[in-house]
Amino acid sequence: MRYLWAAALACAAAPALADGEEVQIRGEVIDTWCYFSGVMGGPDAVRGTAHHTCAIWCSAGGIPVGLLGEDGTVYMILAIGGDDQSAGGQTQLELASHDITVSGRHFARDGLNYLVVDEVVEDHGITNINHVDYGAVPGFAIPNPEG
Amino acid sequence: MWKYLIPLTFAAAPLTAQDAGPFSEGSEARSWNLGWEQPARFEAEVVDLLCEVAGDCANACAEGRQLGLIRAADGVLTYPNKNNQGIFTGAAVDLHPFCGLQVEVDGLMIEDDYVGATNIYQVQRIREVGVEDWTSADGWTDAWAEANPEAAAMEGRWYRNDPRVLAEIEDGGYLGTGETWQEAWDAVQ
Repeated sequence: MRYLWAAALACAAAPALADGEEVQIRGEVIDTWCYFSGVMGGPDAVRGTAHHTCAIWCSAGGIPVGLLGEDGTVYMILAIGGDDQSAGGQTQLELASHDITVSGRHFARDGLNYLVVDEVVEDHGITNINHVDYGAVPGFAIPNPEG
Repeated sequence: MWKYLIPLTFAAAPLTAQDAGPFSEGSEARSWNLGWEQPARFEAEVVDLLCEVAGDCANACAEGRQLGLIRAADGVLTYPNKNNQGIFTGAAVDLHPFCGLQVEVDGLMIEDDYVGATNIYQVQRIREVGVEDWTSADGWTDAWAEANPEAAAMEGRWYRNDPRVLAEIEDGGYLGTGETWQEAWDAVQ
């Protein structure tokens, strides 16, 4: 009941509807904690095939997913195609590490960029084949198949 | 090697983080030895991010949506990326009971211009304003275990047994490009 009341208060205090800027962006779906924190290495290592398994783990674990645009801007994804499950949702999970072109609305707030994806216009698949440079990041991501 | 290094890094971390920031006073946040971390303790309102940022409030504070913290002192919206558990778990589950409420949080702020990180937060503990006891932000795995009892009963960490994770790896391989387990292993040696 306490939470329902809190939710009702949140709705009542909702900000005025913001339209955002209509955009079309191509970029890579990343896990933002590893990218921002540097916990597992530099930004080029925590992307692509090298980091794919970890990106799945983080997405399933509810870590915010972002779109790393071609210009290096990170857009925090708040919804994809009407799916608002931005903390562990299935739509974003299936796009981990994918290079995608999206249309949607861009918002900026206190130094961060946010993206509400209306449509994944094209899924180019995983195009950043960087495990040849970095191996698996983290190194334990791929268990030894022989046990 | 990593298998051992990451837990050791957390276990060996000192009690205080590396550099003081504007909200470090009174913080008891544990360092994670991150390059750009700052201890940060502040009061804030827990908000639904899709509502707050984009005005989509019909389903505000529902489970599965990311939550933010509007800092009371300056009105800045910070983004909790991480909870207080070892690895791979976000903060929304721990913040969800507080959505719409005024809270005090303690944790680490990440500020790194090079990668565009600003107002990125790692929540270690949280309490509603006026409440004495803190809650550690480590509820994700319990929530996962409740939702996935069969997987939780298996040996190993959650990310090795999570059915959705396993389905993704089964579908695309560990590198995501359709290789077999053995091929992926060989490719990274």
